Amino acid sequence: MLERKKECIAMLLAGGQGSRLKVLTSDIAKPAVPFGGKYRIIDFPLSNCVNSGIDTVGILTQYQPLVLNSYIGNGQPWGLNRNYGGVHVLPPYMQSDKSEWYKGTANAIYQNIHYIDMYNPEYVLILSGDHIYKMDYSKMLAYHKEKNADCTIAVIDVPKEETYRFGIINTNPDNSIYEFEEKPKNAKSTNASMGIYIFNWKVLRKFLTEDEQDPNSSNDFGKNILPNLLKDQQRLFAYNFSGYWKDVGTLESLWEANMDLINPTVPFELKDQDFKIYSRNYAKPPSFVSANAKIEHSMVAEGCTIKGNIENSIIFTGCTIEEGAIVKDSVIMPNTIIRAGAIVEYAIIGEDAEICKNAKVGKSPSDCPINTWGISVVGTRKTIDPEQVIAPKEIV
Amino acid sequence: MKMIGIIFSNIYDAALGDLTKHRTLASLPFGGRYRLIDFVLSNMANSNIENVGIITKTNYQSLMDHLGSCAEWDMNRKNGKVAILPPFGIGQSNVYQGKLEALEGALPFIRRSKGNYVLLSDSNNLCNIDYENALESHIKSGKKITVIANRQEPAYDYEIQDVVLCEKDGCLTDIALNHTYSKENLLGMGMYIVNKQYLVEIVEECVSHGLFRFEQDFLQRYFINEKIEVNVYEFKRTVLRNRDILSYFQNHCRLLEDDVARNDIFDPQNPIYTKVRDEVPTYYSQQAHVDTCLIADGCRIRGEVDNSIIFRDVTIEEGAIVKHCIIMQGTVVEKNANLAYAIVDKDATITANRTLIGAPVNPIIVQKGEKV
Repeated sequence: MLERKKECIAMLLAGGQGSRLKVLTSDIAKPAVPFGGKYRIIDFPLSNCVNSGIDTVGILTQYQPLVLNSYIGNGQPWGLNRNYGGVHVLPPYMQSDKSEWYKGTANAIYQNIHYIDMYNPEYVLILSGDHIYKMDYSKMLAYHKEKNADCTIAVIDVPKEETYRFGIINTNPDNSIYEFEEKPKNAKSTNASMGIYIFNWKVLRKFLTEDEQDPNSSNDFGKNILPNLLKDQQRLFAYNFSGYWKDVGTLESLWEANMDLINPTVPFELKDQDFKIYSRNYAKPPSFVSANAKIEHSMVAEGCTIKGNIENSIIFTGCTIEEGAIVKDSVIMPNTIIRAGAIVEYAIIGEDAEICKNAKVGKSPSDCPINTWGISVVGTRKTIDPEQVIAPKEIV
Repeated sequence: MKMIGIIFSNIYDAALGDLTKHRTLASLPFGGRYRLIDFVLSNMANSNIENVGIITKTNYQSLMDHLGSCAEWDMNRKNGKVAILPPFGIGQSNVYQGKLEALEGALPFIRRSKGNYVLLSDSNNLCNIDYENALESHIKSGKKITVIANRQEPAYDYEIQDVVLCEKDGCLTDIALNHTYSKENLLGMGMYIVNKQYLVEIVEECVSHGLFRFEQDFLQRYFINEKIEVNVYEFKRTVLRNRDILSYFQNHCRLLEDDVARNDIFDPQNPIYTKVRDEVPTYYSQQAHVDTCLIADGCRIRGEVDNSIIFRDVTIEEGAIVKHCIIMQGTVVEKNANLAYAIVDKDATITANRTLIGAPVNPIIVQKGEKV
């Protein structure tokens, strides 16, 4: 039964609701939120896996999984349609003695111990589906082996004043971990956990099983599993990652991360033959740009019809921008229509939405009194009526 | 009710000169992100044709690379497949001299595939057609062969088309080949539906008499000798015929200028599929100026582009001016270069400050990988 084995498989936690993305995640899971013109957030960890030589990925879903499930399909767009391994979507399921939802990140993995055992791996890579970054996990795995670690946590240097937002990891000079600080007021270091862990499967399996026996545990990696490993004097190491890494858990950060793609001062390049980000393709024709259109400093995906003015914006697959419409500093998600004369500024417009004639969505910060400005957001499949005005910060 | 698809990938190679030097006609790039074969193959896929044979003769490496497992067309299935049918040499047999001889080589495939009808198609005429409607007309007519045809105005006086059909009172009266035409005539689109059993018979009969050309030796001759009755299915939407370099160039212009043609070809209900390259979305810089263009993914546009088709992964640098051009995949147009009426093949480089101006009826061709 266990003759064949994989060295390392990945488990991707994609069950979170992402409630801070409000209307954008009202009926899809956060990892399925569109990003960067033609991608969805989950394309980044998935493509990272493929580019790191990991061909077996379990995706743990729970909240609104339909879009995510159909997006993943058989994994073919990422080359994850494998005979042995490949991608599997793992929702919670009914068991003979009890049935329950995933209670926490650790419990989600615990409930899928059988799945992992099926591949009998040496190492398990735990990922989350809410960050935008490019990372070669095989380097982290090599480091994990070199340190002879039981658990390796990827960390990134964050500005001192932002440490209160992260799980901070304090290390000895040899990078071994001696302390975790969860969202500390006065952090001792600036090493933030990226939510990327490599475990020796035998060790993780043991700790997951023990954690499950503890009725007071919240079954969470950050709160329970990792501190327990540390308490038990297991070998925990930090792996320093440098490069672009962005949490897209809030509307502001999602907007910013999109804008980073067209910001020449941000060192994050999607176009890279040796490290492609893969995504599902929808067989759209090239984008048509008409005679009166104007496109400046923007990204436009395929299948769009552009007849209006676009500036500093990301236009996703299949959008239509009609004559005289103006789109500035905005993120327009797939298959959305901006009708003639509409003005969209500093906004995120969800998928399949329609902004009718002469509607106005959002405003530039320079036109607003201080503290009243924010990104305007229009949800998936919403229609904004003709002449309607959506104020800054408003979410519909 | 099932149809088997047969695509001829090489028929007019010579007419497209340098563009088909290193590839079959079927793998000639078209429309910003496609190759000619994508259109006919997607039509077949969208018409629920499960078995497709692609007849090739020479230079078919790029075609095989493009098609891969045909997953993009959803044709890598258990109950159907795409078979590439290169010449099958026995003893001294040579490459094909005509479609009938090519079909002879494909007979084992045709016999083996399920279905009572065979759809034969060239790959150079582009349209978005539901072959199931044509099949319905074929079956209703009770005839053994259906010619799929359309009407159009000649682009200029004395323009010639391959298959010109003359009708009187809705009855086919004459089939003329390589003939002038008017808007009264129906023009064959290089697509035929034939009863499978009949096709097998006539292929064997013709080839054994040294007759190799489908249109001349079979269709026209048999019709004139009253050996067959021919049904005509009239297709009423846009057809783009790529007969030579000029028509290839003008068809691209039409995609830009004619909204009806563009919407006909790129019908969202029946998408045209192609090989996925996982390119990033296209970036337009502050200096970009774009006017009436089709632009694919993965490009960087920093210069001025007018009335042009820009394929995937093309870079137009600052100050470059590109007007009335077809720029294929991976090409770089460097700073301040000036291009007009040019067809630039894949992976070419137009160096800085260079000027290349062709004429509307005689576009300049820059070959694959060339550095100008």
